[in-house]
Amino acid sequence: MADVAIIARPVTESTRHALVLTEDRLGHYPEFRAFFVRTFDLDRVGLSDPGFVRAPSGVAYALVFVGRSGEPFPSGLEIYAIVDALEPLDDAVVDKDLWAILGWMIGGVGAPWTVEDLHATGRLYRIPAAG
Amino acid sequence: MTASALESVEGFRDKWPFAARYARVNGWRMHYVDEGAGDPLLLLHGNPTWGYLYRDVIPPLVSAGYRVIVPDMIGFGLSEKPAREQAHTLDGHIANLTGLVRQLDLQRLTVVCHDWGGPTGLGFAMSNPARVRALTVMSTWAWPTPPAEFHTRLFPWRMMHAPLVGPYLLGRHNVLARRGVYLSVVGRDKFRREAQAAYEGVLPDAETRLLTWVWPRWIPLDDTARAQARFAWLEAELAKSRLPTLIIWGREDEVFDAATFAERFKRLLPHAEGPHVVTGRHFLQEDSGPEIARLIAAFLDGQGGM
Repeated sequence: MADVAIIARPVTESTRHALVLTEDRLGHYPEFRAFFVRTFDLDRVGLSDPGFVRAPSGVAYALVFVGRSGEPFPSGLEIYAIVDALEPLDDAVVDKDLWAILGWMIGGVGAPWTVEDLHATGRLYRIPAAG
Repeated sequence: MTASALESVEGFRDKWPFAARYARVNGWRMHYVDEGAGDPLLLLHGNPTWGYLYRDVIPPLVSAGYRVIVPDMIGFGLSEKPAREQAHTLDGHIANLTGLVRQLDLQRLTVVCHDWGGPTGLGFAMSNPARVRALTVMSTWAWPTPPAEFHTRLFPWRMMHAPLVGPYLLGRHNVLARRGVYLSVVGRDKFRREAQAAYEGVLPDAETRLLTWVWPRWIPLDDTARAQARFAWLEAELAKSRLPTLIIWGREDEVFDAATFAERFKRLLPHAEGPHVVTGRHFLQEDSGPEIARLIAAFLDGQGGM
């Protein structure tokens, strides 16, 4: 998904990190963990920095990688919307952005995983963002 | 809070008049109903349902003279819902059932299994055979190879619970309770009218839906799977078991199709009665609850009754 872009750490003054999605088992299919390791150079960066992406709405998201003893890093991932510190989330915007981030991830993981299958799954289950 | 939300579901109390009971088992708070008197039956549901799945099965079995116990799996229904996926293991869920059965000191027990109630209930039965009188299996499996070709496909099964996709689709959007069950019954209008809200109502927030994407990840797809050894043990123990067994299957079940799964149970347990085929897809109790109750009662009568 071209609409999701990796960005440098955004200015976070007067913002808060709002937790919007959590994955406890990123390596359930190891190719998903490998995608994040490759994309954010995690073998070098480790826990020192989150990854940051900008979603189609313009909102920036922090990808916080989680480690667990005895498991390959990262074992988990938390996604935070970086939003105005005292303003409530626009849940519809977040939902569309997360769908775009999932598409970006699936595209990056690559075959046999396809964005077409993701979209077909979303349509089967009538996810609004899947159209 | 969840229980009170159910009270607002139209007609809920008419369909589910049973008193809520709770037990502390294996460190968790488990909800169950316990109706009637006589030899006990344990009715076990799977993902993403709860005891409500058996609402049309319970009254005829009570009338037939049985004590019917229907627990909600930890993580579903009105039972405690752990917040971390690491809290859920197949062995842990078997231990949860074992804890309940020992606490109630159930003997001469008939274990009725559906979906993940199969691996957990049969796991309990094989590790506590002295307490068990008979088994019933419905739309489930008990061996380490992928349960169905469906479970090996990317679309929609593996995509649905893939990393991050699972928490999004099943967590944020509750697609299994909201859409998956609906697609897996025959009488969809009736289901939508009578049951949909009761299944969605007990999974009100993303955090409460954790087990709906954790269970799919426990289905073994290859030799490296976490549950591989437990399923291999389960299959081997069942092959040795002589417990009277009843096989009931949904005629329209497209995921655990009768020709493959009911027949495999029959090969594994050649002494089993059945398969009896009834109207139903995967959630066959939604379409054939009273008939399932009748089959179970007749089967137990044939085993010497109460």
